[in-house]
Amino acid sequence: METIGFLLDGIFTSLQWFNLALLIFGCLIGLFVGAMPGLGSVNGVAILIPITFIIPPTAAIIFLAAVYYGAMYGGAISSVMLGIPGASTAVATVFDGRPLAVKGEAMTALTAAAVGSFVGGTVSVILFTLFAPPLAEVALRFNAPETFALMVMAFATFVGLGGDDVPKTIFSILIGLALSTIGLDLITGKPRLIFFNIPGFLHGINFLVLAIGIYGIGEMLWTLEETKGKVQMSKLSVNMKEVGRAFGALKKTIMAMNIGSFLGFFVGILPAAGATPASLMSYGITKQLSKNSKEFGSGVPAGVVAPECANNSASTGSMLPMLTLGIPGSPTTAILLGGMILWGLTPGPLLFTQEPEFVWGLIGSLYIANFFTLVLNIALIPAFLMVLRIPFAILAPVIFVLCVTGGYAPTQSLHDVWLMLLFGFAGYILRKLDYPVAPAVLSIVLGPLAEKALRQSLILSDGSMGIFFDISEKPIAAVIMYIAIVLLIMPAFGPLYRRFFKKKQTA
Amino acid sequence: MSIIKKLALVVVSLSLVAVSSVSSAKPFSPKKPVELIIPAGQGGGADEIARLVQGVIEKNDYASKPVIPINKSGGSGGEAMTYVKKKAGDEHTLIITLNNVLTTPVNQPELGIDFFNDFTPLARLITDTFLVWIATEGKNTAGVETFDDFIDLAKGNGLVMGGTGSMSEDELLLGMMRGQFGFDAKYVPYSGGGAVAKGLVGGESDFTLNNPSEQMGFYQSGDSKALVMMTPERNPAFPEVPSSYELGYPDLEYYMMRAFMAPAGIDAEVEKYYTGLLHTVYHDDEFQTFNIDDGKLMSWLEGYGLKDFLAIEYEKHGEIIKNFN
Repeated sequence: METIGFLLDGIFTSLQWFNLALLIFGCLIGLFVGAMPGLGSVNGVAILIPITFIIPPTAAIIFLAAVYYGAMYGGAISSVMLGIPGASTAVATVFDGRPLAVKGEAMTALTAAAVGSFVGGTVSVILFTLFAPPLAEVALRFNAPETFALMVMAFATFVGLGGDDVPKTIFSILIGLALSTIGLDLITGKPRLIFFNIPGFLHGINFLVLAIGIYGIGEMLWTLEETKGKVQMSKLSVNMKEVGRAFGALKKTIMAMNIGSFLGFFVGILPAAGATPASLMSYGITKQLSKNSKEFGSGVPAGVVAPECANNSASTGSMLPMLTLGIPGSPTTAILLGGMILWGLTPGPLLFTQEPEFVWGLIGSLYIANFFTLVLNIALIPAFLMVLRIPFAILAPVIFVLCVTGGYAPTQSLHDVWLMLLFGFAGYILRKLDYPVAPAVLSIVLGPLAEKALRQSLILSDGSMGIFFDISEKPIAAVIMYIAIVLLIMPAFGPLYRRFFKKKQTA
Repeated sequence: MSIIKKLALVVVSLSLVAVSSVSSAKPFSPKKPVELIIPAGQGGGADEIARLVQGVIEKNDYASKPVIPINKSGGSGGEAMTYVKKKAGDEHTLIITLNNVLTTPVNQPELGIDFFNDFTPLARLITDTFLVWIATEGKNTAGVETFDDFIDLAKGNGLVMGGTGSMSEDELLLGMMRGQFGFDAKYVPYSGGGAVAKGLVGGESDFTLNNPSEQMGFYQSGDSKALVMMTPERNPAFPEVPSSYELGYPDLEYYMMRAFMAPAGIDAEVEKYYTGLLHTVYHDDEFQTFNIDDGKLMSWLEGYGLKDFLAIEYEKHGEIIKNFN
């Protein structure tokens, strides 16, 4: 009961005109930075931090959280409309969002993204409201072995991701893993695989550089070859029938919404994971469990809903360790955390009791921000759709410019732009040879997380792999590990599994 | 590599000559936004100070052009230092330091960074220190009340220490303590001081050597406690934690410096301008209050004093690294 009182206070706080204005403004900025390739919530929040010195902390966090949130919605826009991931959190949205747009169902994709984001955001904020303190305890107990087990589970779902050609999928995963080892060795602190001593490799291969290269440049080359430059994507009309059809398509995405919301939230509360791995894992698992998993990748609404739902859910989730443990659950919350410290707040177990107005103001604002971003998004869909009416001869150079700026922005180095172009050509060739590229993108994100957790665990266990399977010592890690093994074997026994599953349903 | 190094040296020395011969009297002010390079990731201690400095400058209009923080975290600061080295003579680039500017040139000689000739030190604003932390309910450290209790326990048992990464400040400190007290520990690297603090309270490690601010939240809630602070005096933010001098271990003294440097080969006027700007920031009320509450030591140093300090610290770190290996 006490919680509800605090929450109502929080909602009222964020409905004060000043806070509300900041919230809507923040959502709009977020939509923009999210939609611009290369600019994501991390950059948006980092750039805006100094502005928050002149307003009260509660207003500041409401503003920045709205930017964070809006960016989760915005990322989907360029993923669907241009085929370039607008932000790292929206890479998985390209997998099915782009094919939908190419099929002429961009409306459905955008609606699915907006509604999915809203559902994920709302479910997660409810979970947050109800269970914040006990979940903080879970996050505290989730250490290296548990993290590694979770990563194995994620990889297990990827094997099923590339379609039927398992060897090609594994090859793609391995390429991603190899690329992810470039940079700094996490344990010895020494540079590793720095080709020709080029300093640009010291920061490793930025995952967005790979994703923008493969999806932006690679896709453009592919389109050019396929159509000889005569791309026409017309027959787009925004009328009530279309809108109805778009919402109708959501009926089949209930499972994706569930997976995205809950998985996203739990991955989000784990330190150092964040919304990008959450959206990728959610896509992988939804595909794995779906009855029509073969259609994923060719444009199904569930493939858009799953990652979009998860990235919003995870972004709420990652605020939990930030507030209660003082550790960031994602790169963006790392910046928010810095901001909180600068505003004179000490994140930690006491924050909820010492600064209730701040904490509940933030939580309350998330409910409101969710509502407004949904409304803004749905209202703006006709405007986004205009992109499709632009002739390819104009659109292609624009996409190219966006790819280059997107490759440059995260690290501000030209080295990454060349690398991005290289990946673009490589992606095009892989696609011609019929290799799936998604698994490579996934493993470059999760590779470093998995490597670190594995090596930390093995230091703790003196090199014994038993640490991941000991059900009495590390029950959480062991359970996740066994689930991962089942998921890994499942595609092999797919038909068998499905028969079993159907029997159970009818029984 | 060595050719590049020589070339760089020639460029640096040429530009030094050029600068000393043309010393104009016109006061300098930035003509475009100033890049502030952070040799660490977003959300860490250096990042926090850099963004605070940016905010204080922006809020009070201390500079005519904005300061833009850019994180270059690769290669333990190697990426950032290589970048600044290449910017020799550039009047719109600054770098904030962690101690990795003292260790990385030694640990990674292949980068060809000459700490004394590739940078122009401007000022030191803050020093941060380290404390030995244990969890209040740590299962392996039950009954430990003082630092001496801890040493006794650590000698007999292989305790697990959480740290911020190999060859980072805290692992070097562990090496230093190994030499002084004769105990060793299993070192587990995490990503960032916050994760280290959480690993301690979550029961994965037995002790950590965190900065004051990294453990502040858990310290205030009583989940973790500090045994010793590695400074000559107690810190007002942690009144009951003894200093290493009090306990009779004056060798256990260590600082993390937050200083600012410019690339080599800049005009004396430019150097003066940035030092003055940093001085204004240093005396800003908000800047002072924030850092003191956070347990940091305000310790302005510039000119020859700073150069001496850097030389001593550089040598000290060289020594620690040598002993460590």
